[in-house]
Amino acid sequence: MELEALQEVAPEVSALGARIVVLTPELERYTRAMHRKLNLSFDILTDLHLKIAEQFRLLFTLPDYLRDLYNSFGVTLDRFNDEPEFRLPVPARYLIDKEGVIRAADVNADYTIRTEPAETVGALKQLRLATS
Amino acid sequence: MPTLQQRLEAYKKEFESGAPPRNAPREAIETMHRATAELKATGIEARALRIGDRAPSFSLFNQDQIQVASADLLREGPLVVSFFRGHW
Repeated sequence: MELEALQEVAPEVSALGARIVVLTPELERYTRAMHRKLNLSFDILTDLHLKIAEQFRLLFTLPDYLRDLYNSFGVTLDRFNDEPEFRLPVPARYLIDKEGVIRAADVNADYTIRTEPAETVGALKQLRLATS
Repeated sequence: MPTLQQRLEAYKKEFESGAPPRNAPREAIETMHRATAELKATGIEARALRIGDRAPSFSLFNQDQIQVASADLLREGPLVVSFFRGHW
């Protein structure tokens, strides 16, 4: 759902001179299918073994009881992600300026809550005003 | 058009109703709530990188197995980086 919502603002983000990239632990065979299905104009990058999520300090390990539940739903993360330890990133969205500094950060441990893409576009407009 | 959060809420409501096609059992929903509460309690949100921090650079493969480097993208302009758990 978030990817579709990001796609809706992608033309505006582009017009503002910025890019969107999505990082996911999923292997390329899954990102490719998702990318095609949603017809995205931005890249989905495989953060293999969550190395980058770890550097952003977003990493957590699914508790055993949740792992079992996900497996019963067919959500076999070890297979999707080549990730036998069942680690995942907390959903997060960052705006990074040209110098590599974080200018907006939205991190929520509750995966049912996401920042509106419109807010990210707003932060991007502010950044442009501040740096132009 | 509904906002992203409105769409998420609608999905959550449908899922948690336990109705078809998902038929989520009550215990499963409670387990998921417990896990979210426990994760929040670890303080992970406060530990994550924040405004003013330097973003780690990366070079990763995209859906077409082409390598993409954040340094190259940043030369063109600002970057929105979204961490996504997966297609499931």
